[in-house]
Amino acid sequence: MTDRSEPILRLAGISKTYPGVKALQNVDFVVRAGEVHALTGENGSGKSTLAKVMSGMIQPDAGQIYVDGRERTIPSPAAAIALGIVIISQELTLAPTLTVAENIFLGRLPRNRFGLVDWPRLERDAEAALDRLGVHVSPRAKVSDLSVELRQEIEIARALSSNARVLILDEATSSLSEAATARLLDLVRKERDAGMAVVMITHRMPEIYSAASVATVLRDGQFVATAPLSETDEQKLVRLMVGREIQDFYGKRSVAAGETIIEIDKLATPQGILGPTTVSVRRGEILGVAGLVGSGKAEFGLALGGAIAATGSVKVAGREVALGDPRKAIQAGIGFVPDDRKASALLLVRSILENFSLAWFDRIGGRAGMLNLRGEQAEVDAAIRTYRVATGSSSPAISTLSGGNQQKVILGRTFVRRPDVLVLSEPTRGIDVGAKSEIYRMLQDAAEAGAAVIVISSELPELLGIADRIAVFFEGSLEKVFDRASADEEAIAHVAVAGASRHHQTSPHIGASA
Amino acid sequence: MTAPSIAQTDSHGRYAGSPSLLGRVLQNRYTGALVSLLLVAAFLALTQPVFLTWPNLMNIVKSNTVVFILALGATYVVIAGGIDLSVASATAASAMIFGLLLAAGLATPVAVAAAVLFGAFLGAMNGFLISYLKISFFVVTLGALSMFQSFALIINDGVSVSVFSAPGFAPVNAFVNGNVGPVPVILIFNIALLLLAGGVLRYTTFGRSLYAIGANMEAARLNGIDVKRVMFFVFVIAGLAAGLGSVVQVGRLTSASAEIDPTLLMTVLAAVLIGGTAFTGGEGGVFGTMIGVLFLGVIQNGLTLSGVSSFWQGMVSGGILIFAVWLGGMRQLLRRRRQSTGS
Repeated sequence: MTDRSEPILRLAGISKTYPGVKALQNVDFVVRAGEVHALTGENGSGKSTLAKVMSGMIQPDAGQIYVDGRERTIPSPAAAIALGIVIISQELTLAPTLTVAENIFLGRLPRNRFGLVDWPRLERDAEAALDRLGVHVSPRAKVSDLSVELRQEIEIARALSSNARVLILDEATSSLSEAATARLLDLVRKERDAGMAVVMITHRMPEIYSAASVATVLRDGQFVATAPLSETDEQKLVRLMVGREIQDFYGKRSVAAGETIIEIDKLATPQGILGPTTVSVRRGEILGVAGLVGSGKAEFGLALGGAIAATGSVKVAGREVALGDPRKAIQAGIGFVPDDRKASALLLVRSILENFSLAWFDRIGGRAGMLNLRGEQAEVDAAIRTYRVATGSSSPAISTLSGGNQQKVILGRTFVRRPDVLVLSEPTRGIDVGAKSEIYRMLQDAAEAGAAVIVISSELPELLGIADRIAVFFEGSLEKVFDRASADEEAIAHVAVAGASRHHQTSPHIGASA
Repeated sequence: MTAPSIAQTDSHGRYAGSPSLLGRVLQNRYTGALVSLLLVAAFLALTQPVFLTWPNLMNIVKSNTVVFILALGATYVVIAGGIDLSVASATAASAMIFGLLLAAGLATPVAVAAAVLFGAFLGAMNGFLISYLKISFFVVTLGALSMFQSFALIINDGVSVSVFSAPGFAPVNAFVNGNVGPVPVILIFNIALLLLAGGVLRYTTFGRSLYAIGANMEAARLNGIDVKRVMFFVFVIAGLAAGLGSVVQVGRLTSASAEIDPTLLMTVLAAVLIGGTAFTGGEGGVFGTMIGVLFLGVIQNGLTLSGVSSFWQGMVSGGILIFAVWLGGMRQLLRRRRQSTGS
């Protein structure tokens, strides 16, 4: 409706070069008030670099920035905020030891007439900001006690309470569940109607189509197109992003499921987040696990991987697995990959090689704990080829790789061990379309080779694409297991939101993320 | 398909495909300390004719051996993401044990073994509290700092023990002060120790575990590393180093003193930091630590040769420490900037 209005923010001919790489080349980008504009492209396409330019985190080498038609420089994040440009990035920037309320109003805590912090008002204001987002968390809770997802939502509440005119969401949904994403998208639409300009940086198609009206695609640092989404279907958009067709996105298997390899009986966590859960998975089968954050699906994975204390019984190939110890889980043939790459999977300062072999000490360690360095190098080189990690050498620090390639290393080091059971939590979170497809193929191959694969994911479409059955958690219990034939997105979302027996209160926007 | 073809460092801080020589040099973790060491050495060589003489250089080696041995242990702890504040106190406590046993007429090997094992025992106590009772390493080693110090005073009422005339002292003296031809025995020993410490870091699963734990303890745990056991042994090693250091110290002073050199702990940690082992864990090595020890040793030597009051040495080494860490921080910042292209 406000399509032809004066652009609130216009970037023209932006270029940015880093040693050895042209991150942005002559990129144009126009954002109007009252519009949700998707900025999309594969990892490394330059979209986050462009976001950093807009939010004052980096300075372009060339090009102009116009705010309300006036040429401006944005020398710092503070300058961007002063212009009403607020970014919410993938990197969380909360102070973990402070409370939720303190974080939301960090740097602008309300004062009373004595110049001291007005705590009651702080709490009220924080409460209001959280309510607006539909987040139910006490303003007095300490951030370090919260899940990654809640932290992300608090970050969003902070941005929204700061009078932003241009809101940049840089992969802001990458750590959110479907429900939280839906809430956020709802809010984005509301803010748009109130006249805010929203830039959504994402490669998640459902989000783009449910909230944005126009998309700008970057590829290899270059502007590809700005397309109205009403005239551009998903396939065309993906084609613009990757420059080629992606066939057969989720891959497939040609063998049927074999014998039951893992029997989980009344598995529960002592704190009660995960109630007694009973389910079995067969060789060659992929079990999808869905549910909202706090539904227990994450704890289900952690308990299977031995990462947290648990009660109940888990048998692999008929043998009882000692719970609560990752070493025991590994020895029993369970390969677990956690959801938070940075916090619990990557050795960021170490090499690709060491990140691979972290899980292989029994393979590369010889007598008296001596390493077989040559054997290690050979195994790593082979794994780099097998799992198509895009790197010329195994010696650079893993932090130099893109998220997708980092994830291939993390999955690969577990897959190489050929565990009987793979438990993967959010295996494609924050990863671009091309890498996702490759990871799906890795999962399919592992299942085909005889592993039972348990994939815990907040992305229903991917579970529908790869899983044979989908187990849905609600409030700590496994409510229902859908088989492939009966699995449809809306039914699953319904169980995830309301449980299997409670048939009321469907959330309308969950299903809309298809 | 778009793995950043940008500046990439490997985990040893070497450069793989750097855009410029300058960048490559700046990024190496040892460069700062090594260049500073060479500059200071060159300056001293020009201004102090005594500096480059063999006896003076060997004096630097000898007088910094205790620091060096403790710093090797501290390097392990810091790589694993911890810190041991108790090493200087543990050295004093072990030294008292060693001195009393020597003075009591025990055979040298027995006394040496007892001192080293006692140091290891003190480290094991730290390790147990930290690993198995999950008390913060900072709290434990801070408490241990004062307890070990106290122990050193209690055991002989604060009185030093002279071992000069003890029958078992001759071999200790030969080890600490003796020469093989022109080469001090202790230099050969230090080199052997450096190779051993470096070899364990590079060629064993234990060494690899240290880096993994320091880089990301949870990732290490989830991938089957016995984090508790490794952390326990890291502190045992730090204690072992203290025990070994106490033998050298007693040998040099010809007596065991409960008094702790107040600069010892600071010098040890400074050497580790200047040598490029990051306090954030997961990075570093003993070669850098050696450079750090030499650097601080040469500075101290230079100040002495120049006739500067020893009161100034703390100023200089403290200032250098802060400067070196700032330089290290700049290096990381530079690296991160280069990596943060695209998304």
